[in-house]
Amino acid sequence: MNLAVSLPRGLKLKNPIIAASGTFGFGPEYASLVDMSVLGGISVKGLSPDPWPGNPPPRVWETPMGLLNSIGLQNHGVEVFCQQDLPFLRNADTRIIANIIGHTVDEYRRVAARLSRESGIDALEVNISCPNIKEGGMSFGQDPDQAAQVMSAVRAETDLPVMVKISPNTTYPAMIAKAVEDAGADMISAINTVVGMAIDVRHRRPALGGITGGLSGPAIKPIALRIVYEVAQAVEIPVVGMGGISSTMDVVEFLMAGAAAVMVGTITFQYPRRMQEIVAELPEVISELGFDGLSDVVGSALPGRSHAAPVMVEDYE
Amino acid sequence: MPAPDHVELWVHSPPLAKATPGQFAHVATQGMLRRPISFSRLDVDTGHAAILFQVVGVGTRWLASQQEGAVLDILGPLGRGFPAPDDRRPWCLVGGGVGIPPLLAAASQWTPAAQTTPATILGARTASLLLLEENFRQLGHEVWVTTDDGSRGEKGTVIGPLARWLAKNPLGQVYACGPTAMLSAVAATSGQRGDVWLALEQRMGCGVGACLACVVLGNGANGPSYRRVCADGPVFSREELIFP
Repeated sequence: MNLAVSLPRGLKLKNPIIAASGTFGFGPEYASLVDMSVLGGISVKGLSPDPWPGNPPPRVWETPMGLLNSIGLQNHGVEVFCQQDLPFLRNADTRIIANIIGHTVDEYRRVAARLSRESGIDALEVNISCPNIKEGGMSFGQDPDQAAQVMSAVRAETDLPVMVKISPNTTYPAMIAKAVEDAGADMISAINTVVGMAIDVRHRRPALGGITGGLSGPAIKPIALRIVYEVAQAVEIPVVGMGGISSTMDVVEFLMAGAAAVMVGTITFQYPRRMQEIVAELPEVISELGFDGLSDVVGSALPGRSHAAPVMVEDYE
Repeated sequence: MPAPDHVELWVHSPPLAKATPGQFAHVATQGMLRRPISFSRLDVDTGHAAILFQVVGVGTRWLASQQEGAVLDILGPLGRGFPAPDDRRPWCLVGGGVGIPPLLAAASQWTPAAQTTPATILGARTASLLLLEENFRQLGHEVWVTTDDGSRGEKGTVIGPLARWLAKNPLGQVYACGPTAMLSAVAATSGQRGDVWLALEQRMGCGVGACLACVVLGNGANGPSYRRVCADGPVFSREELIFP
């Protein structure tokens, strides 16, 4: 079965499985464990115009079926990325998505402009939704006008395919998605982490150095699915879905909810090869569910689609 | 069992058995994240490696419940271990609590400097939590023990015996692993001398340097910067770190 995905501006993935930003480093870190050429793409860790130090540790904390993080978008800046990481990524046989971050509209613009001068980058993912940055960051993702301003500034600098990563930490995520679509976004990626916190009772203090953090992992999958389902109906452009995906059947759920492709993140920390396993299993699972191809699965659970007779699925709870 | 709530678990894995002391195994449990655990013993000849950990939560409890013959999912050996000592100068191991095990792996592989006896200083909150004391004695080390409550050895911390050893061995090399407060005190006590190596613990995500979760404050090329315990460490030289 052909798993290829065609996205706007000629972005073609060999399959719909993309490594999510922040969980796969800048590329080389997992090279000895994961065959990147098997993946549809990788979204690198968020890049700012200048280096960002990140938040004080502790930066991670386990919660039931979830993971709280407060990394704070630590990165060595777009210039070091271009010189140090990009040569490696150019030789990786997969699509490279550069995730970009900023404190101001101008900072997003600068990163987009810098990356557009380089070869080897196949798309940009504009992160307006990180809950771990106090100024800028998530606030751009909570206001439709500000979100549109960021997207317009990026659009003016690049002809690359651009997706905007939206936040679950807002009442109407689909409104933000619509606003950035109108400002020129080619795709929406949804969702970023859900803002939350934990208390370290032994030390009587917040568990994370950054006090609050972003929740990821299976705990947020229902939230992510609901938002993907809403956004897919609100916009015409493709949606890249993510949030707690750990298995092939999770991927199918996101595809049915309207995602054209998906990103896989937190599970990689525990099982670095899970993305490869999902790519291998996906054709058979799609067939067993009664579909002829990947594109037939996308949006098949959206309103107005005819529901199929139930199919027997092994190990399905 | 080496101490209450502590478990030493042997795995057969020739690649893990070749680990450098101070490196770690990243062990999948039923938690969301793997558990980084250092090696207490390494047997290259038989391809066995032992990890020693304290049962503190769901992940380590699951791991402790595994029976002989179970198959574990382990990434490793990961990180940067201890550099072997210069064998012309004396060396000293300083371990606190569950930081003691990787020092035993080191002690088993390293040779003493000529005409010296390796020194080991072990500390714990209380006598029952003191790990592996007999093992260091069997290796012929001179062993000093301290406990916070005085229930075994000297009452106090490892810093007392360490200061005395350093006074007698001004060119001595120090290898330490334990809680951050202990390592900070070891760094302060050892002053500006070189050859002080510290193995750190931190809450960890991926274990391979990708997620930037397990950082500690260190000295970078352009001033203070966060260093990754999993990939840049867990062993750092004293000069690489900044303690609060």
